[in-house]
Amino acid sequence: MRPLGWFWTVVLVLPPLLALLVLPSFGQRMVTLVGIYALMGVGYQLVFGQLGALNLAQGALFGLGAYALALLAPAAGLLALPLAAIVAAATAALVCGPLLRLQSHYFALATLALAALVNLVAVHVADLTGGANGLAGFTAALPTGAALLSLVWACLIVAVVLYARLFRGSLGHQARLLREAPLAAATLGIDGGRWRFAAFVAGAALAGLAGGFSATLSGVVSPDVTSFPIMILCLTSVVLGGSRHPMGAVLGAVIAVCLPEMLRDLQGLWLLAYAAATLVVVRWAPEGLAGLIDRWRGATAAATPLPMLPDSLALSGGPRELVLESVSKSFGGVAALSDVSFTVDRGEVVGLIGPNGSGKTTLLNVIGGLESADGGTIRLDGQRIDGLSPHRIARAGIGRTFQTVPLADETRRGDIVRAITSGAPFLLLDEPAAGASDRERRDIARLVDQVSAAGRGVLIVDHDIDLLTRVCDRLVCLDRGRVIAAGRPAEVRADPRVRATFLGLDEAAA
Amino acid sequence: MAYALIALGFVLALNAAGAVNFAHGDLVVLGGAVAVLAGLWTGLPGPLLLPIVALVLGATGILAARIAIQPLAARPPEATFVATIALAAIIEQGLTVGLGAAPLTAPPFAGSGTIDIGGLALGRQPLAILAVGAVLVAAVWFLLERTQLGRRMRAVSSDRYMARAVGIPVGRYVMLSLALAGALAGVAGFLLGHQFLVAPTQGAGHMLKAYIAVAIGGWGSVPGALLGALGIGLFETFVSAAVGDAWASAALYVAVLAVLVLRPQGLFGEPVGRRA
Amino acid sequence: MSDPALRIGDVAVDAGEIVALLGGNGAGKTTLIETILGFHAGQVSLFGRDVSALPVEQRVLLGVGYVPERRRVFAGLTVLENLEAASALPAVDRRRRVEEMLVLFPMLGERPEARAWLLSGGQQQMLALARALMNRPRLLLMDEPTLGLAPLVVSDLLSRLATMAEEGMAILLSEQRASLALGIAHRGLVLSRGKVVRTGTARELADDPALADLMAGG
Repeated sequence: MRPLGWFWTVVLVLPPLLALLVLPSFGQRMVTLVGIYALMGVGYQLVFGQLGALNLAQGALFGLGAYALALLAPAAGLLALPLAAIVAAATAALVCGPLLRLQSHYFALATLALAALVNLVAVHVADLTGGANGLAGFTAALPTGAALLSLVWACLIVAVVLYARLFRGSLGHQARLLREAPLAAATLGIDGGRWRFAAFVAGAALAGLAGGFSATLSGVVSPDVTSFPIMILCLTSVVLGGSRHPMGAVLGAVIAVCLPEMLRDLQGLWLLAYAAATLVVVRWAPEGLAGLIDRWRGATAAATPLPMLPDSLALSGGPRELVLESVSKSFGGVAALSDVSFTVDRGEVVGLIGPNGSGKTTLLNVIGGLESADGGTIRLDGQRIDGLSPHRIARAGIGRTFQTVPLADETRRGDIVRAITSGAPFLLLDEPAAGASDRERRDIARLVDQVSAAGRGVLIVDHDIDLLTRVCDRLVCLDRGRVIAAGRPAEVRADPRVRATFLGLDEAAA
Repeated sequence: MAYALIALGFVLALNAAGAVNFAHGDLVVLGGAVAVLAGLWTGLPGPLLLPIVALVLGATGILAARIAIQPLAARPPEATFVATIALAAIIEQGLTVGLGAAPLTAPPFAGSGTIDIGGLALGRQPLAILAVGAVLVAAVWFLLERTQLGRRMRAVSSDRYMARAVGIPVGRYVMLSLALAGALAGVAGFLLGHQFLVAPTQGAGHMLKAYIAVAIGGWGSVPGALLGALGIGLFETFVSAAVGDAWASAALYVAVLAVLVLRPQGLFGEPVGRRA
Repeated sequence: MSDPALRIGDVAVDAGEIVALLGGNGAGKTTLIETILGFHAGQVSLFGRDVSALPVEQRVLLGVGYVPERRRVFAGLTVLENLEAASALPAVDRRRRVEEMLVLFPMLGERPEARAWLLSGGQQQMLALARALMNRPRLLLMDEPTLGLAPLVVSDLLSRLATMAEEGMAILLSEQRASLALGIAHRGLVLSRGKVVRTGTARELADDPALADLMAGG
């Protein structure tokens, strides 16, 4: 994404310095609180901002950290802080592993149920948690005042800088792909499951740490720290500040802590104003306050650079041939593919043609692992790849593009270039020329030529028969899931069945 | 039965607007609050307050969707989630500021006291909830399944593009569904508000239960949501009789997590969209 | 008197006439049809009246029936409900019209209470056509109606269209398989990248050896 830059670095370091040098202890306390909320927020950005998953358990994990600290501090002292983070992370790892596969609204519900559960335990398991009265008197061995402030902000600065660095480069691009085009991400070899797990657990660790700090600061823990308002506070402050911007969580926390102080006379109204502001931001400034400030500074992030074609396209090593043998697939009893066999060698371009619904895209999906074959084998040299998950197939050496460009502001060429730069020896191109102008078509043809000349194998689906004739060594024509013709382009185009089913001309009319 | 009304409204709004409305639970609370105020100002008896509450909340339902759901239709679902969560917080805080945090008692629907039926003394209010709930659910079912209006509403939620292309004024039908959803929420709030009081913080709980009912009943399925809601009601009643309220809720959440992990399409969900 | 049922740019369709809209994938056939319906902005006149400012649902009620690509029946509704939902008539007339449709399409009459998503592809296509006919349209727009249908269903469908045209219906029929469409059409248009690149009578187009290349977007 974007580097932090001097402006934001100053904004990040200023509050703790100012607090330590000039502010009275009440002010220091507020700045510490900002740091705590910001820490929880950075963790939340990992899951909500980067992966776009609505996790509603972050508040509960924060509370879990607080309770863990309160229970462990008398025995473990300062060590209770990292332990609080570990407890939250371990809980997230245990409970949410299986939940991460869920669709967005089910994921939200599952995390909501988890949060409700944590809150119930906090209130009702009185032996452990002190029930509604909570716990107190555990802070003897823990830092207070300026020391606590320094510790909190040191952790926060490390987290923010790390976050900014991590998501600046290819990791940021990966996260965006996972968020906006999970299928394309898998075909580039990105393991979405592991990614989500890591983000969720890391986010939970930060929430637990923040919860531990918050218990240290207040000296008491009650079920309130696990309640839904904490979650709302976290969510709204991250959205207000900017859900992906490295400084979003910090700005959001500043507002969350300072606004109620400024509007103290209005009592309940501040939360009202806060929620209303969030609504406004969601609707009109989805990039959040940090993004707005960047825009106002004229420092709008350099747009993600277009993927560039590498200097050398040549690849050595890797599998030599892609072999399909008797591949079959049916949907609900209707055969989408039956008994499809052919081979693509490195350095060869094979075109796949056929009328709509003849199974071309299904075949690409089966090769790429997005759908599983019902029968037959697919091999790269000797290695069977059918049945592997998409990201493993991608890593084994198959890249692909999609009919519709997966990212909103990307060009078709960009999509192809990305598949090329992934270094896959074999490329599957799904209708690269659909909707392209003459000039783009020529460009695509040239690109395909270069790729095959550099020794990669290409399987290309398109309806532009002239383009295919120009770039392909061989054509394979499908009709209702079966190969009805295969061979050199001129032969296939002359085949009467191809003329009838695909080109739409009867023998009589030709 | 009141859960069924809440879940029914939730699923109607879900189908019409294509988005989860996290503020739905707060519409329920708002319904209770409107009943309290309308009862104070007009002094009308319960059955006459009902249409007032339904009308006000119907309008609110439309307004809520106009503010937090429809402008975000083209954005990822998370945007609507956040917007409706913010809206929920606005309603909750607005009620707290306007009415205070202390719980209020909504006027009774059918008077207090008990009726003696076959030797069983039954509370008038629970009976009223049961009766009104059953009548409303039946009425909504009749509307959806047996009238031209309902057929067209279902056509709209099935395929909005195609509904327009056969001449259905889609915008009007979406508004109608949202109004109905709001009205059902409001009536539920009114009915619950006498026995369980009306407090601004109840919204999240109502929403969670409707959400669970719809999730286990199969996303977007109306009968599934009703079954889900009844299931939750029975589950809570029996389990809490055995182990107490708190553990009944805990068991419910654990059950939900288990269902989501084992059957991500819901208990009664049918595989939709698999046909090419 | 001689206002065509439809006019959009160079494209006009008269009553009683079948016009085939030919072109490969991405040629703009669906976009053209959706523009006629009002899903996209554009200058369109229907039955001699400029409807460019009318929304979709009002254009349809002027007498346009639409069968979209891949049929798009209302999946969770039954056959009867699909038909009734499409009707703007009062109850008595609506039911009478449904009865007429069930007689016209015996395939549907066999399973009136079946949910639409359980029907076969051919049955769904007939349902989509019957649904489009509910409001007695004078202009029928069909987008790739033969896609994924067995040959027998295709010939049944095409002969029905020919009969309807003889009874005075104006039909615009988009197809990738030119030979099928030109078999029943009176005239044809070839679309490529959103533009009409060739027009002619069905006979002329069918005899044109360059048609395949033209359609493939060359």
